[in-house]
Amino acid sequence: MNEMAVRAEGLGRTYGTGAVAVDALVEVDLEIESGQFVVLLGPSGSGKTTLLNLVGAIDVPTAGHLEVDGIRLDGLDSEGRTRFRREHVGFVFQFFNLIPTLTALENVQLITELTGRDGSDQARAALEAVGMADRADHFPAALSGGEQQRVAIARAVAKRPRLLLADEPTGALDLETGRRVLDVISRLNRERAMTVLLVTHNAVIAEMADRVIRLRDGRIVADTLNPNPVAADRLEW
Amino acid sequence: MRVLTVKLRRDLRRSRAQVLGIVVTVFVGVMLFGASYDAYQSLTASYETMFDRVGFADLWVTAAPEGLEATLAADPAVEAAEVRHTVDVPFRIGDRRLVGRVVGVPEGATVNQVMVLDGAMFDPSAADQVVADQHLARAFQLEVGDTVEVATPVGWRPVTVVGIGASAEYLWPSKSRQELLALPDQFGVLYAPDPVVAAAGPAAVRDVVVRLREGVEQDSELSRLATLAMAAGGGDTYTRDEQPSNAALQEDVQGFGQMSFLFPVLFLGAAGLGMWVLLTRMVVAQRAVIGTLRAEGMSRRQVFFHYLAYGVGTGLVGAIPGAAAGAGLALVIAHAYTGAIYVPITVVRVTPSTPVFGVLFGLVGGALAAWAPARRAMALEPAEAMHGPAPTGRGKVTLVERVWPGRLTAEARLVVRNALRNPRRSIATGLGVVLGLTLVLVSWGMIDTVQVLLDRQFRQIQQADAQVAFLAPPGDLSALGRVDGVAAVEPVVQTPVSIVAGDRTYGTILWGFDRDTTMHRFLTASDDELRLGDGLLVGVDLHDLLGVDVGDTVTVRVGPTGETFDVPIAGFVDEPLGTQAYMDLAVLDGIAPQVASLARQAMVRYRSDADPDAVRRSLEATPGVAAVVPTRALEAAADEYMGLFYAFVGIMLVLGAALAFVLVFNTTTVNLAERTVEVATMKAEGVSAAQLARLITVENLTVMVAATLPGLVVAYYVAAGFMASFDSDLFTFTLHIRPLTFLWTALAVLVAGFVSQRPGLRTIRSLDVARVVRERSV
Repeated sequence: MNEMAVRAEGLGRTYGTGAVAVDALVEVDLEIESGQFVVLLGPSGSGKTTLLNLVGAIDVPTAGHLEVDGIRLDGLDSEGRTRFRREHVGFVFQFFNLIPTLTALENVQLITELTGRDGSDQARAALEAVGMADRADHFPAALSGGEQQRVAIARAVAKRPRLLLADEPTGALDLETGRRVLDVISRLNRERAMTVLLVTHNAVIAEMADRVIRLRDGRIVADTLNPNPVAADRLEW
Repeated sequence: MRVLTVKLRRDLRRSRAQVLGIVVTVFVGVMLFGASYDAYQSLTASYETMFDRVGFADLWVTAAPEGLEATLAADPAVEAAEVRHTVDVPFRIGDRRLVGRVVGVPEGATVNQVMVLDGAMFDPSAADQVVADQHLARAFQLEVGDTVEVATPVGWRPVTVVGIGASAEYLWPSKSRQELLALPDQFGVLYAPDPVVAAAGPAAVRDVVVRLREGVEQDSELSRLATLAMAAGGGDTYTRDEQPSNAALQEDVQGFGQMSFLFPVLFLGAAGLGMWVLLTRMVVAQRAVIGTLRAEGMSRRQVFFHYLAYGVGTGLVGAIPGAAAGAGLALVIAHAYTGAIYVPITVVRVTPSTPVFGVLFGLVGGALAAWAPARRAMALEPAEAMHGPAPTGRGKVTLVERVWPGRLTAEARLVVRNALRNPRRSIATGLGVVLGLTLVLVSWGMIDTVQVLLDRQFRQIQQADAQVAFLAPPGDLSALGRVDGVAAVEPVVQTPVSIVAGDRTYGTILWGFDRDTTMHRFLTASDDELRLGDGLLVGVDLHDLLGVDVGDTVTVRVGPTGETFDVPIAGFVDEPLGTQAYMDLAVLDGIAPQVASLARQAMVRYRSDADPDAVRRSLEATPGVAAVVPTRALEAAADEYMGLFYAFVGIMLVLGAALAFVLVFNTTTVNLAERTVEVATMKAEGVSAAQLARLITVENLTVMVAATLPGLVVAYYVAAGFMASFDSDLFTFTLHIRPLTFLWTALAVLVAGFVSQRPGLRTIRSLDVARVVRERSV
């Protein structure tokens, strides 16, 4: 049996209290094997981003237990969560959030430095992995949207995390550019055996995943394995 | 270099205009701190060194009885107590005359020695040799070998200047505590062998000058010795702090001390506000980036110190050269100042701790400015990374719109709402205006105050044009009245006295005027006019200093003669210069005839169409006249120096405008940076750059004008506080600001604010709409 990357039991997240309380996630039981490419699918407000945030230790569950990479997250304090994120996960967001005053290489290198890893070799390797080595010295404003997102992916994977969490990574991109970004994520999943959790509301993207988890109103309503994932360059939407 | 440092450097470079403004403001603040504080230290050290060199006295006892010097010299706290005499007499130097002072120097004096700067010390046994004080020598171009004539009851007596010297007592040539601002061509000092001065007759005042031993507790010992001296029959005592020259110089030195506090507060305050505005904007703009970095594992502490470094770095970049420049400027000031006052010894003291403190001010100021934005950045959650660009400020219908009759145009609504949209930015703009107003009004207020006080003293109170001293009092007043150009002549008596009430004594000048004098008006604080009667009119400060009220009886002890008499207080007058006493001359004649006769002079008023110089020359040519002293010379000198004062105000205006400029420039550019997309969108929709510039200008001016009134109030109170720190019984520094000064100050700062928007507004014209859209997605 494969090692479990994520194990959740009765996981819940409620925002606010009393009459204004909103249950964003309700009693979620979930296990994700290491190396799986998982797509979290659902409409806006379904709880998919909340689940991603809990797994990435950006947010704290209000109920249940959550273990990621063998570490219990529900008992961690703020410092512990920071340390966890630093050592175990990489994030890719819809907005690329690159620092405009740093080059592509420096944007990636910044994270390797901050996380205590040795600088530029790892950063260059990450850029190479996303096909951006030749644009390493360009500033973000000189890159296209797809290129910026690939730099953001390089930034997320430069510290070699076991888990890559992507929140609508193609939300701000056109079809062709989106495909290329998804291809990069798919390759990282395969070549580095990196567990990927990708949040999207685009059902087409789910076709490239090993497993698709559908959420609605904070609950998992379907959890299906995909025996024949489609390559990213064959997706159409 | 670490990438985070690269980010910091490039972020700062991206906002280089704002950062440069902050750096320059920190530089100026730290430089002025270093310059004024070290100048203060150097001047203090120069005086102290001079005082040690010449054995400057710690205590003076005037009109001292025989034998007091021996009593004091035997006291264990006293190192030396020596007798010396002084006499105020007219001098004739060429064809010019003045009332000067001859100060006796005993042979082998160890207290209040004269430092000979040129020539030699007089022969102690020679009755016709003197050393001229440097200020007198300079004012009358006296050289060694020249002759000065000194008035005696039997006529002019020539003495030879054998040396030019300086004394700690007359570093600033003050005639008395009540006449601190004597002009060098109106008052001068000759040093002569003490036995010669003692022989000058009853007008010579016998002083005992006392120097304490090293290490004794100054305050308590001086107080004890003063009590002892007064109990033994001394006329009055005063300490080194109260000694006229030293008191005048200390007032001045104190000004440097004040500036070393005021300047850094104003400039570092402005720089701090500018930094705060800039960095708060930066944190807001970088929310998503901070969220992403936090999501990737950057700790809160790392985020905090990263943003704190912006403030600290900027502060240090301004403070380090500022501290170096301050040390250099202090050298220049110390040399220029001691040179201008002619202090023979200049000690330049560059205290190592001053530049260190200057740098620390920059560092701590920068850290404080960055503290709140850094805390805000630290508090951002990683989830911020998922949010798009943050809207700046919330829309809200303003109070103005609610109370405005009718409906405002969309343009007007935009202006009003934007002015209130970001309170932080509006407050910073307003504070820029307040700081600028404060700096200008403090300095301009000082000039207004001086002018108003001079006007009160020399136009409203003093009504005479000249004071005439006679070779042999009481002189011939009728002869003066016949001089062409003279409108009125009155007798007057002026003598140093001590006023005693219980155990308190105050040394001052007693004036005797005709009961219905037209030469002097006696005005109270509420501008009521008092008349001379049987009692004593005194300066209002004596109410507190002596603890007396109208009707209380005080004892007056006349300095030169030692006569004493009791007299009731008849009223308090409020005069800007000094705290003096006035009596009816006839009453004084009746109770102290000796002094009334000895010190009799005349007050003269010229006809309004007369040439003052011609009348003065005619008066001096009148038989029996020793000297004619213009009573408004000080006012004329002040007018001459007004150009310098205005230059000072000009500098303060530039600095004040610069303060306003830095803050308004920063807030305007930050305002535009926050609204780049809005502005770009409006531009894309066809709104012209000029229209946009007008909207933003009106918006900023609205905030600036709104800040002006409270700013003027704050500035007024700061100026009043600053002025009050100089207020004493010798100078009344009650702040007076003319209405026009308020207007010009406000206009100057508003114009500076208006101009400071221009660089920011120019960016609207060059705004690349496509690039803005592209960068917003980064």
